[in-house]
Amino acid sequence: MAVAIRRLEEPDEVENFDCGDEPLNHYLQLHAWTNQQKISIGVTYVAVDESAPRAVLGYFTLATSSVPRDRLPRKYVRGLPLYDLPLILLARLAVDKRFSGRGLGHALLAEALKITLYVADEVGCRCIVTDAYPDKAGWYARYGFLPLGETSGTGSQKMFLDVRTIRLASISGLTG
Amino acid sequence: MAPANKARTKNTAGLPARVPAPRKSKFQADLAPSEDSGLRVLKAELQITSNTDFLSDALALFRWAVAERKRGHRILSESSTGERRILVFPRLERVAPDVALPQVDIRWTEKELESLAEFVSEQPAEPTEALIRAMRS
Repeated sequence: MAVAIRRLEEPDEVENFDCGDEPLNHYLQLHAWTNQQKISIGVTYVAVDESAPRAVLGYFTLATSSVPRDRLPRKYVRGLPLYDLPLILLARLAVDKRFSGRGLGHALLAEALKITLYVADEVGCRCIVTDAYPDKAGWYARYGFLPLGETSGTGSQKMFLDVRTIRLASISGLTG
Repeated sequence: MAPANKARTKNTAGLPARVPAPRKSKFQADLAPSEDSGLRVLKAELQITSNTDFLSDALALFRWAVAERKRGHRILSESSTGERRILVFPRLERVAPDVALPQVDIRWTEKELESLAEFVSEQPAEPTEALIRAMRS
């Protein structure tokens, strides 16, 4: 299976996508295209098999966000620049359960991190943040995501990865 | 001096108590050299001599812009040939009632913000093996 990862396109077949989680299925089937093309609040990237290039095997969605500087605790802001903190939100990441266990999640996350690094280099951003299901927090932690605060009331766990760490990994990847 | 003070007290007796003048606020700003230079140029162009007058005018302009955006009005410039340019200023867009910013708001708890601020203040963590593999792929 030769997998390609690219931006979601309108003719992509998303109806049969099933990652086993209804909110994630619904997002791809009902909202991803609209959010990307019409109201521009997030871009979805899909993994497809090059032999059947319209069938979506997995996806992730990225958006930008920022934290107003005045919302950060005072004891830390003295060391931070005088601006709001720009960041990338990894809003969703899912793999169709029929294709799980084949490294698609790794490939999707790798692509998301490369895009994050590209955005950081081109326009600036400080970190990537995701809201992980508790049973997926360990998977993100393997890539260096650190938990922020405690598990939320909805059961998800915000996690953080510094762009500088991604850059270090990128350099290690080149030299290692 | 003492008798004079006494006389003045007597003269004001029976008048309504004087309303204390509103307290003035002082601003101190750390400007980068380029911003400081920009400020000086603007003051010269506008023939404003004091920082107080400059801030006062800037405040009036900003207050007007905020009020316009709150009403949903757009702020634009129009050239002599009719070419229009719309001002998009992220902070102003926060008060606009009908505009969706091309970004998302995240709901943060205080503890999450504290962790976030702590992490971004620290030296970056060493990348894990999985992260290095991901960036190498």
